[in-house]
Amino acid sequence: MKLTFKPSPNYRNEKSTTGIMKDLGLCLCAVLLYAVIYYCAAFGAQYGLRVILLACDAVVAALATDAVFYKFAKSKDIMKDLKSSYSIITALILVLISRIDTSYFAMAVCTIMAVYFGKLVFGGFGQNIFNPAAFGAALIMGNFAASYNVDFATGATPTQAASSIGWMIPSGNFASFISQYGGLGRMFLGQYPSTIGSTCALLILCCGAFLIWQRDIDWQTPVFYICTVFVEALCIGLMHGAGIEYALFNVLAGGVLFGGVFMATDPVTTPVTIPGRILWAIGAASLTLIIRLKANFADGVLFAILLMNMLTPAIDKLFDGNQIKDAAKFRRNVLIGGAAFAALTLLVGTSVKPKGETAAAPASSGVPAASGEAAAPAGGDVNFGEALPMTYNFNANKASCVIDGEENNTVRYACEAKGFGLVTNADGDYEMNQAMVVVDKSTGKIKSISMINFGDTAGVGDMATSDEALAQFEGKGLEDEVNLVTGATFTTRSVASMAQAALNAAQED
Amino acid sequence: MFQERKGKEHMSILTGPMRFHLDGHKELTAHKDVLVLEEPDDLYIPLVNGRAACSPLVKEGDEVKVGQRIGEPTDGFWYVPIFSPVSGTVVGIEKRMTAALKPGDHIHIRNDHKHSATRAFREFDYETATREEILDFVKSAGMAGLGGAGFPTFNKYTKPEGIELFIINAVECEPYLTADYANSMANPELMRDGALALLKLSTAPKGLIAVKEDKKDLIEVLHKQFDGTPIEVAEVPDIYPAGWERTLIYMLTGKRYDRLPAEAGCILNNVSTCIALGNAMKNGMPITAKYLTVSGDGVKEPQNVIVPVGTPASEVIRQCGGYVGEDCLLIAGGPMMGRTIPNDQFVIGIANNGLTVLQHREPFSVKCLRCGKCTETCPSGLVPVRINACEKIKDIDSLKKLSVMDCIECGLCTYICPSKLDVTEGVRRAKRYMALVK
Repeated sequence: MKLTFKPSPNYRNEKSTTGIMKDLGLCLCAVLLYAVIYYCAAFGAQYGLRVILLACDAVVAALATDAVFYKFAKSKDIMKDLKSSYSIITALILVLISRIDTSYFAMAVCTIMAVYFGKLVFGGFGQNIFNPAAFGAALIMGNFAASYNVDFATGATPTQAASSIGWMIPSGNFASFISQYGGLGRMFLGQYPSTIGSTCALLILCCGAFLIWQRDIDWQTPVFYICTVFVEALCIGLMHGAGIEYALFNVLAGGVLFGGVFMATDPVTTPVTIPGRILWAIGAASLTLIIRLKANFADGVLFAILLMNMLTPAIDKLFDGNQIKDAAKFRRNVLIGGAAFAALTLLVGTSVKPKGETAAAPASSGVPAASGEAAAPAGGDVNFGEALPMTYNFNANKASCVIDGEENNTVRYACEAKGFGLVTNADGDYEMNQAMVVVDKSTGKIKSISMINFGDTAGVGDMATSDEALAQFEGKGLEDEVNLVTGATFTTRSVASMAQAALNAAQED
Repeated sequence: MFQERKGKEHMSILTGPMRFHLDGHKELTAHKDVLVLEEPDDLYIPLVNGRAACSPLVKEGDEVKVGQRIGEPTDGFWYVPIFSPVSGTVVGIEKRMTAALKPGDHIHIRNDHKHSATRAFREFDYETATREEILDFVKSAGMAGLGGAGFPTFNKYTKPEGIELFIINAVECEPYLTADYANSMANPELMRDGALALLKLSTAPKGLIAVKEDKKDLIEVLHKQFDGTPIEVAEVPDIYPAGWERTLIYMLTGKRYDRLPAEAGCILNNVSTCIALGNAMKNGMPITAKYLTVSGDGVKEPQNVIVPVGTPASEVIRQCGGYVGEDCLLIAGGPMMGRTIPNDQFVIGIANNGLTVLQHREPFSVKCLRCGKCTETCPSGLVPVRINACEKIKDIDSLKKLSVMDCIECGLCTYICPSKLDVTEGVRRAKRYMALVK
């Protein structure tokens, strides 16, 4: 019998860090499962399988990184270190914030980077400055853009589409814009392509509620983050004549909900005090909107979180003190800090114009640069965006051609292909796009394209069927590339698929 | 009017709850019969009563009776005289290990088991006595804060200016401990007399007796005793540390204060102190025995016992069936604020109210995840996670800003820590460090 000395208290709550991580893992798996089901149902079993394989890929890469690191660090108890590193969570979040067309190779490399450079080099769990998953995802976006697997294309996500028109949608065009994704209701239920995990808003909110109820995360960060995005977007929208649906779109599209629930609440990289967390959340929300409105990225959530991670030590210092005695000071700091972030965002908001408008009045003021690497010179009403090679895999469009007429070496093909509505199975009356493609058989180039029937969303897709947009195909062959029309990605692809089918048919003859 | 405040949250959106409901394990002992401990043959009365040093009034070979004054305080402020808990012969003054793990002088009394008693005080009627007379009685009867601190009771009442509220603390928020509860259930009339005497002493127009809302049977007893007196029963939620005076006063009045409860117009005393005073007034006897909770998974028969002051802890544990397990933590008091003492030779003093024996298991601890739960629950409003971080790098400026010295070591930060770190110990290190640099 031995009596041991231990400093008081000698009583402990049952809740453990491992328990918190288990709950978090459970929620992430639920989101993943939903993604598997959605992709299976909407695109086919191979898409669902790919989600599962990407997750396995990332989890194996994360565990292997941990194991190798601790082996080389001469860990005394590798199993204990693996258990207390919680890298599986990092891997799952990384998968959920990636797009389904990310290649396995890129996913593995980014997981290794995220776990090693995002966490282990800082001293392991609890010591890292940046959210490891956000850090890894930033690498995917920055360095592995070419590694996207085109076989699994799902089309532009709402954030990409919104980004291509400067995140400012005039209220008149909003309905047709949002109808690409089946309206706000379907966005809420998550039936649209996006990053793997950001689809179902309802499920993410349920996970957040569960985690708050279990006291795994605090309620202040997600609530203040999401509400600030909503309120600031509402104000900016009102400045430009957009209504509440614009604010809702800002909340539902992209990573706001997923980031707010799963990433902004990462305790390691956010402040430790409640006023600190509130200020942090307001700052992250403001930066999300500023990046959306002004920067080149499709979505601002990741970089907003990473930028605020850098401010975490400073915010912690701002709220060092006694929460009772310094309550007035803390309140003042939150108010001043929050107001500064909000003012900055609104100021940025005032200088934003929808890209459609700016094209009509070019070089007026601080116009945001067009997104995408290859911004083609724009004129009239059409903005060209990303390059689209004519060899692109257009399987989804199911283009077909029949010869309509032939004289000398010039063949006229009557083609049809699925456009936005039919590719994505969107609600509404959509028809096949039909066009007449004239090909010069001797050179293998297109002479002209003219539309016979336009079956996509009027006011959005028809930008890609304007004379100017169709003119870009003239003189192009299979080895050439054209540019996507911003805001009308799907329709451009549909037209290009017909052009490709006609060129292929001409070659075979 | 205080009833209305029951359970009301005085919470700002910028702070956490600053408290936490924890499992008290009180069912282990609360409703079991109270064991009157067999008196040991040898008792050792420490010559330091709490923090009050005393000089002995007896010498080797003297015969003493129960209740006889055997030690006189040497300090006017820390004035708590010592009385003999048993009758017998003084063997001498001996050095023994105290609960502070230091050697200290004890009066060694050989018990003759005759229980021959001397009435230490004349019968005292607080209703007819003047305030000064009550104060004098409280002082000479050796009344001290029996919640654990042992602060001389009379000291709280010397200058009762601006006191609006007298509070009796029957909350007993330490897990495992039910000694106050058992004592109150057994002696409700003594409690009422003592409480009314202290209310008169405080000059406050009204009083409150604070009790946890889950102790339904005690609440019923209290209503029976206090309905019709200026003292009302106030139920407080079952949270920790509801019994800490700052948290209690905040819950009852919504007031915060800087140093002493008197700044908020309040005086507090523990319910056991009221019972001891009632006993002294009615039966003329000082504190010679204590209600003591012996509980935890490291002792065979957890129960409440009545034990003479000066009984070695080893004797108490033996009579409760002994230890369970090979490696135990013996804690004087409850597991949150009580000290572990790796030696069971120390004796039970007047301010002890429990022995908690827990089997020692090391928790699986991982690195701090900065979850901030310690910050949200800290009843003093501190940021223990930052204090620990700044203590490691000895960042004096930050530690000053973090008001390290406001920590009362209630232990909630270690309790709540999901990474199972010794957070409170880190704050203690910071306090010791700051005391040195000052």
